[in-house]
Amino acid sequence: MSPVIPPTTEFERNARAVLEASLGRIDARTRSRLNQARQAALEAAGRRHGPWWRSFALMPAGAVAAALLLAVMLWHRPPAVREAPLLEGHVSAEDVDLLADAEGLDLIEGWDGPFYEWAADQSDANVQSES
Amino acid sequence: MLAALHGDVDLTDEAKTRSRALNQFLAGVELKAFKIAQTALRHEDDALDAVQDAMLQLARAYADRPAQEWKPLFYRILENRIRDMQRRRTVRGRVIAWLPFRGEDDEDEVDPIAQAPSPEPQPVRRLELDEAVGALEKALGELPRRQQQAFLLRTLEGLDVAATAAAMGCSEGSVKTHYFRAVQALRAQLGDLYL
Repeated sequence: MSPVIPPTTEFERNARAVLEASLGRIDARTRSRLNQARQAALEAAGRRHGPWWRSFALMPAGAVAAALLLAVMLWHRPPAVREAPLLEGHVSAEDVDLLADAEGLDLIEGWDGPFYEWAADQSDANVQSES
Repeated sequence: MLAALHGDVDLTDEAKTRSRALNQFLAGVELKAFKIAQTALRHEDDALDAVQDAMLQLARAYADRPAQEWKPLFYRILENRIRDMQRRRTVRGRVIAWLPFRGEDDEDEVDPIAQAPSPEPQPVRRLELDEAVGALEKALGELPRRQQQAFLLRTLEGLDVAATAAAMGCSEGSVKTHYFRAVQALRAQLGDLYL
């Protein structure tokens, strides 16, 4: 605190006494409002100096509840339905059976032998008839 | 983790200590600050608003500063608020003067709390005090603002010349000049102000 300097002359001493007496005549309403203003200022200073974790305590309860709900929903969200990939690292049992079966292999490769043999025969027959 | 927790505890204790010191400081200056603001503004509610704003600004912006700096800072803030209010009042007065219809103020309403008696001395002594306080307040009200400010900060608040200069935002030489002129003017008007 800065040093308080006592008044040097009689006039100054008297003036100070009168002024201090005038402070004692400040009414109760004004004193009460000054007290309220002081409490508000102290509260403002307290908010400014609170530790970091106290800011969580000051968060509105609704905001905290909403954040928790969102976190739970994200955690328990069902996996999204997606298309099976064309190439997989593993081979299923159905694929193995298909490969082991020769007829199935023809189907996979689009091989239709009798049809092509018949078509070739038809083509040869047409050539011979024209000649 | 433990150290961090200890750190928090220390911080909280420090904050509590500082809050107590700030409370003590503000409680010590609030009545004098109100009297200074009231003398300058001549309006009780405006004076209360000015003191409240000064308290809030000190707490928000300067609570971390060393306690010995609070008093000049507080009175500097208060002085700025008083000046702002005086300017605003001047502008408002000019605007209202042009309005054809002016609303009636409700200042005639009697506030029972305001009428409540404060602890007072005996009636004769009270009368003498009333007269002395009235005469001094009237004479102070007629002083130029800077002289009024220098006189109140030095005599009522008891600030030294350096702290008064810091609060007024001027040089120590100016403070001495304003204060000397204020004392001369008051003495010329009031005599020796015997009680």
